[in-house]
Amino acid sequence: MVRIALLACMLLLGPVSKAHAAAIVGAPAPAFELRDADGKNVKLSDYKGKFVVLEWVNFQCPFVGKQYGSGNMQALQKKYTGMGVVWLSICSSAPGKQGNVTGEEAEELVKEKDAAPSRFLLDPKGKVGKAYGAKTTPHMFVIDPKGIVVYNGAIDDKPSTRREDVATAKNYVVAALDASMSGRKVALAATQPYGCSVKY
Amino acid sequence: MAEAPPAPVPARPPHLLETSRPGPGAWLPAVLIALALTTARDAVAKGGNIEVSFLSEHAAVSPGRPFYVGVRMEIRDGWHTYWRNPGDSGLAPRIAWALPDGFEAGPIEWPTPERHAEGDLTTYGYRREVVFPIRITPPSRIDADSVTIAATVDWLECKDVCMPGTAVLRLSLPVSANPAAPGPNASKIAAARSRVPAASVGWSFSAEAGPRAIAIAFVPPAGVSPRGAYFFADQPLVTEHAAPQGFERADAGYRVSMSPAANAPGNLERLTGVLVVESGGLVRRRSAVQVDVPVRHGDPAPAPVPPERAGFPTIAYAIAAGIAGVALALIVLRKPRKKSNHT
Repeated sequence: MVRIALLACMLLLGPVSKAHAAAIVGAPAPAFELRDADGKNVKLSDYKGKFVVLEWVNFQCPFVGKQYGSGNMQALQKKYTGMGVVWLSICSSAPGKQGNVTGEEAEELVKEKDAAPSRFLLDPKGKVGKAYGAKTTPHMFVIDPKGIVVYNGAIDDKPSTRREDVATAKNYVVAALDASMSGRKVALAATQPYGCSVKY
Repeated sequence: MAEAPPAPVPARPPHLLETSRPGPGAWLPAVLIALALTTARDAVAKGGNIEVSFLSEHAAVSPGRPFYVGVRMEIRDGWHTYWRNPGDSGLAPRIAWALPDGFEAGPIEWPTPERHAEGDLTTYGYRREVVFPIRITPPSRIDADSVTIAATVDWLECKDVCMPGTAVLRLSLPVSANPAAPGPNASKIAAARSRVPAASVGWSFSAEAGPRAIAIAFVPPAGVSPRGAYFFADQPLVTEHAAPQGFERADAGYRVSMSPAANAPGNLERLTGVLVVESGGLVRRRSAVQVDVPVRHGDPAPAPVPPERAGFPTIAYAIAAGIAGVALALIVLRKPRKKSNHT
């Protein structure tokens, strides 16, 4: 009985020391497997040998609205998937929280916004979001063909919800992909992401 | 950034009239000035959960004589807006000025923020009410009877969801060659300025960064006996905002340790931000000071995390563990009685 009570105390105190997981620039990207909007299972390792972009998304967040409302995110998806890059949009909103979508809803939204990710992945338990340390929507990651994280951070250098800022912003994901894909080092490999909190 | 002048403003909603009502002890001239200010000011708030208005320290503008204005945000319960480093998510408010010729506006003087836990994320900002003081410097000559100071304020308001807000504020003040009289909101401006962290006169700081921790060692002025402290880093990618901070007595002073940000570039040259120190016995006092110190690179050890500094979940767990402890004590205490019943 005493042991059980002590164990209960330890279990209750245990979660205090939270580990802060993150995708570290220069380190291997955390492996994952998620279901996509179609219901198919997708593994990061399926794309070994390719550049992969991870985009955390919540279509009801005004910062995401800035990127999609201006057509910027869709244009990037089309441009880079056309060059062989794998673009994975990931939604980590928990059920009942803002931005949570079923597979069907995700497909409808992708069609409605004329978006073109390679896959739209559902992470309602937030497991992958937390493993990557995804904090905001958008929060962007670029993974190179060896599976190494080469960019982690904001989409661009204009933290705002104003669509007109997109035109004058320096896009960090573009800079990371263009450098990496031509064999150069990414100059700015980590930035502070900005946006709504991920609705875990 | 080049800013367009604020767009023409539609009629002011009547509820915004409330914000510059004089206090109960105000005398007649103050009332008249207040009425003048009220009719001169326009505010259009969009967002819906934060009402934004302009306050002026002075009732009139004197050439060459700096004074403060305040951008006041009245925040609906449950909502918040952000500090200059918003933390894990969010966005700091921005002000774009449209000033008369020769006028200059200083930077936003940010009041000490508070921490908000949003799930696993931590943000820095304000709840209920915040006034951002800004120093305005008029030119030494003004060829007008009155001037209008205008600003477009953009902010993000969040609860469990976020909405952008925007407001165009205008403040018209008469020009007077006499030393300017305090305006009806002078005391509000003074209160707001007192919430801006002080310069670190009388404090000494040193900072060291390493793979395990970023540590700031400090000696407070005589009479301040810290029981706890928290450092708000104001630059991105310095600390892991949601990680609890350590605190301990060390040498002649105290130490606060922070978890380095997961993707910190590792070349931190200066540690800048605000140190909030809690002191006192039964009556807790908070002092906040501006910190800007060079960083030495080494391998400082993390300081122990005091339970009360680790945030709400720890308190909940501590209470739960306490209940479990009481249960344990009851079990232990009941045992001998049971035995005696059998013998």
